[in-house]
Amino acid sequence: MATLPKKESRAPNTCLGLDTNYGDGLEREHSRKPDHKRPEHYGVGDPTTPFSSDGSHLSSRGRISKWFWDLAEEGYRTYHMDEYDEDKNPNGIINLGTSENKLCFDLLSSRLSQSDMLQVKPSLLQYPDWRGHLFLREEVARFLSFYCRSPAPLKPENVVVLNGCASLFSALATVLCEVGEAFLIPAPYYGAITQHVYLYGNVQLVCVYLDSEVTGLDTRPFQLTVEKLEVALQGANAEGVKVKGLILINPQNPLGDIYSPGELREYLEFAKRHELHVVVDEVYMLSVFEESLGYHSVLSLERLPDPQRTHVMWATSKDFGMSGLRFGTLYTENRDVATAVASLCRYHGLSGLVQHQVAQLLQDRDWINQVYLPENHARLKAAHAYVSGELRALGIPFLSRGAGFFIWVDLRKYLPKATFEEERLLWRRFLDKKVLLSFGKAFECKEPGWFRLVFSDKAHRLRLGMQRIRKVLTGTLRVAEDPPSSRTQEPRGQHI
Amino acid sequence: MSRNRDPRSGQPRKAKTKSQNVSHQSDTLHSPHPRVMEVILHLRQIINEFILQLESRHEQEDLEQEEQQHRQNIRNQEAILIHLMCEVVNLLHSGASSSLELQLPRLSLVSKGGAGSGQQAQSSREPDQLSHQLSDSKTAFISCYLSNRGIDFSALYQSNLQDFIAYKGDKYHEDKNTLGFINFGLSENKHCIDLLTERLSQSDMNYIDDDLLQYPDWKGHAFLREEVARFLTYYCKAPDLLDPGNVVVLNSSLSVFLTLTMVLCDPGDAFLIPTPLYSGFTLTSHLYSKVELIHIHLQSKMDTQTFQLIMDKLEKALLEAKFKGEKVRGLVLCNPNNSLGNIDTLDSLKEYLEFAKRHNLHVIIDETYMLSEFRASIPFHSVLNMKSLPDPNRTHVIWGTSKSFGISGFCFGTLYTHNKEVVSAVGAFGFLHGIAGLTQHKLCRLLQDGEWIDNVYLPTNRSRMQVAHRYITNKLKTMKVRFLSRGSGLYIWVNLKEYLDPCTFEEEQLFYRRFLDNKLLLAPGKAYMCKEPGWFRLTFTDKPFRLKVAMQRFSEALTHKKQNWIEKQLENALVESVSSPSTRRSSSSSSSSSSPSSSLSFSSSSFVNVDTSHF
Repeated sequence: MATLPKKESRAPNTCLGLDTNYGDGLEREHSRKPDHKRPEHYGVGDPTTPFSSDGSHLSSRGRISKWFWDLAEEGYRTYHMDEYDEDKNPNGIINLGTSENKLCFDLLSSRLSQSDMLQVKPSLLQYPDWRGHLFLREEVARFLSFYCRSPAPLKPENVVVLNGCASLFSALATVLCEVGEAFLIPAPYYGAITQHVYLYGNVQLVCVYLDSEVTGLDTRPFQLTVEKLEVALQGANAEGVKVKGLILINPQNPLGDIYSPGELREYLEFAKRHELHVVVDEVYMLSVFEESLGYHSVLSLERLPDPQRTHVMWATSKDFGMSGLRFGTLYTENRDVATAVASLCRYHGLSGLVQHQVAQLLQDRDWINQVYLPENHARLKAAHAYVSGELRALGIPFLSRGAGFFIWVDLRKYLPKATFEEERLLWRRFLDKKVLLSFGKAFECKEPGWFRLVFSDKAHRLRLGMQRIRKVLTGTLRVAEDPPSSRTQEPRGQHI
Repeated sequence: MSRNRDPRSGQPRKAKTKSQNVSHQSDTLHSPHPRVMEVILHLRQIINEFILQLESRHEQEDLEQEEQQHRQNIRNQEAILIHLMCEVVNLLHSGASSSLELQLPRLSLVSKGGAGSGQQAQSSREPDQLSHQLSDSKTAFISCYLSNRGIDFSALYQSNLQDFIAYKGDKYHEDKNTLGFINFGLSENKHCIDLLTERLSQSDMNYIDDDLLQYPDWKGHAFLREEVARFLTYYCKAPDLLDPGNVVVLNSSLSVFLTLTMVLCDPGDAFLIPTPLYSGFTLTSHLYSKVELIHIHLQSKMDTQTFQLIMDKLEKALLEAKFKGEKVRGLVLCNPNNSLGNIDTLDSLKEYLEFAKRHNLHVIIDETYMLSEFRASIPFHSVLNMKSLPDPNRTHVIWGTSKSFGISGFCFGTLYTHNKEVVSAVGAFGFLHGIAGLTQHKLCRLLQDGEWIDNVYLPTNRSRMQVAHRYITNKLKTMKVRFLSRGSGLYIWVNLKEYLDPCTFEEEQLFYRRFLDNKLLLAPGKAYMCKEPGWFRLTFTDKPFRLKVAMQRFSEALTHKKQNWIEKQLENALVESVSSPSTRRSSSSSSSSSSPSSSLSFSSSSFVNVDTSHF
């Protein structure tokens, strides 16, 4: 039986607490050591402190998971108790924090109501193949071959189907890493991954901190370079943390940025040099609404540097705007990894009927190409244009290049002090004014004052949301001069 | 091939071993047999491809003659490859591994059930292995890409599922594939799939709204949790309305069990559990949650009822565990019991709960089989039926639709617990075990439709189960096979001890293979950690035509076994007649001492139903 490290060292590496120490990336690197120093740096972050074991029925890992939950979901729960509704609750909270595409429910509902979706077959009601029904894996392979523009047709046997990418992160972390080992991840990143790889896998994330300031050879803010990857990897090694892989999110969440094929290749070569697995999360792959960006899936590369260590994930939650469908998929040429992930699929299965529906959906190229994608992109573009216009009118710098559902907003000048407490206070003020945003700390951004604003919502809600944001910001004294690097980057950025 | 190897040492970096002590050796030792290793890895890859090819081809329902031929070819090739590979690995094992210290598990252990593999399996098995069922069944799985636990899981997965995969690829069909496998090992109710298909096709099932397509409450949509609470209140006959706030909905009963063990135990903590037990518990506690299951072995011959859990045993097991320094966090119960089909009486349930309370133990009680009792004389009592639970904050109930409604492909399980802390901690895992909103709606409609459940589904299901059960038990009686079945669950617990000579788990495994050769999948007792060799779980909830063929095959396997036994006896007699008197004496004494059942005689007197009172 594998024994886990001591309680202190099992504390999640990434903490969502309020300690100002987090501001300094170096310090955080330092505090990653699983030793006695941790409590000083992670005073608030020690997951076991808020839940003393007295009277608790939970195990310590049970308390950690609950702590994670309580903290991450605070805003979300507040929102759920007071959701905005045009008629019933016009003073309710508008959610511009959760990354969901609410623009195409009409299209999806009508497609999902068509008769081919409603078929019920006995085989769909019985024990499935844990990798996913073959008909679905075949369809996923065809779908990804087409939309990722793979040089050769992708194979169904390289596909594993589960109930979402969260499960996939969890399973991959477990089968690729031992307890306490780590993945590199460029930060800011979609913060929930911390939980995904930790809860079952006890795997840590080593952040590769990116700067808003454009320095050296960088051509754009928060640019990932191999040099930065090397530094982070060496740092982790020096700390005694064994790094097993690299996680890339492309299109990136929360930056709304994409990696060029050249950049991708460099990162993959870096990983190959160090025998690192690369998990590429391409969950926003069809949500690139600025075609000029020229998105490239990693599966489109002519020859992967290390195909046996390259694992791609995709899902319907973003690109088809159905986070409630719980469908995610892995594509990997590594049969060992596919089998190992499949061995855990029993706990991450999805209903046969849903598998049928997803297969029908992915199959319907006409509808996707002629109805869904053009309409979805047009609506995303319009919503994006509105929100970015509003931000510009307010004189707020932001980043967004035309992919994803969000804009990465720079509100640093509204923080009286550049601390994460202030960031959280500002977030609170937004919530008090009934608009929910996500603060940068949740993405492990090392600079306080960045917020992620989701724009893929209906026009009336966006309007109201932007009004409320404006109210908060105009009521907040600008305390700082515009930082030098905080220039606005237009969606059609020149740095492609 | 080089990509399968560690470039530094030229050896595979990780090989799963039973002793788990090889993690660094490949770095320090230079391989004396790089070529052999290369061949092995190459072979394994090819085999994997073959299996995959086989698997995907076979899943198509319509079988053409041509395809069948193709399939046969693939399988023949596969058999050759496996044979080759076994040879190489065993060669390594005998010669090279001592210097390599790379103790590869013997491949013959897991080679497919083709004729002949059984003998190999026997010779390479180790004697006392009851408590090591998990490691014992591992496939040789080598990978330089996976973590040790990844290798471990894969090996388990492959060995556990290989027969299931073989079955999937070669299913019996009354017209198209009369020589295909029939699966009596899988606990699945196929009786009422027509009713369910029809009900789920009705228009009320196909409702869509925006909420269903968005991120759900990870504990389950409120409408479904309310419905589950109502449903359980009614069918568990709860004295008061159950509270939807105590419900968490996940994507299977097993996921509920997993998350419960996660939030109640830290790695290494233990749960008491009576055996025979549901094999899913063993797997789950091993894979993700790393919880120890302390087995309380129940026996077929006891003062009261066969395989009855009694208080003495519980107390003793707890004491022993504590003495050994185990941190026992609770007790796992399964009622109706999976594998035995037993139902606990309300009184004994109370006793167990009181026992747990006395020792501050949590009780996880799996009532997944709750609506599957088919003989009214034996009433099922849910713990939720109790006026007051002895320790409500430590009692956690699991239920799901996979058995009660025979829809295992639906992926739905639920937790009911009064402990709010547990509710929210389990809910925190919800995003890893979520169900589609559309599925939640369908489930809600299904559970809501009391009229259909009470007037259509349950009566039909019950009567079909009764018919099938009667058919199988009559057959078993004619064959003079002893069995246990108490009117609940989807299976009969069959005693084939008499056919094992000697009565060991090796023989049980061989017998299992024997059935497999006859294209019949059964579940051997060892998979349920039964302490006595010779028990098999036989699922009877299948269509009549398949039941008929299956019982023919079953009977053939028994006859064959009987024949073998007679031949063996004759051979022995022959040997004895030519050997010296001293040899004769020792051989006869060893055969009688090795197993009480080796004195088996196929006279009718030795075949009595264990539990005749219920027939």
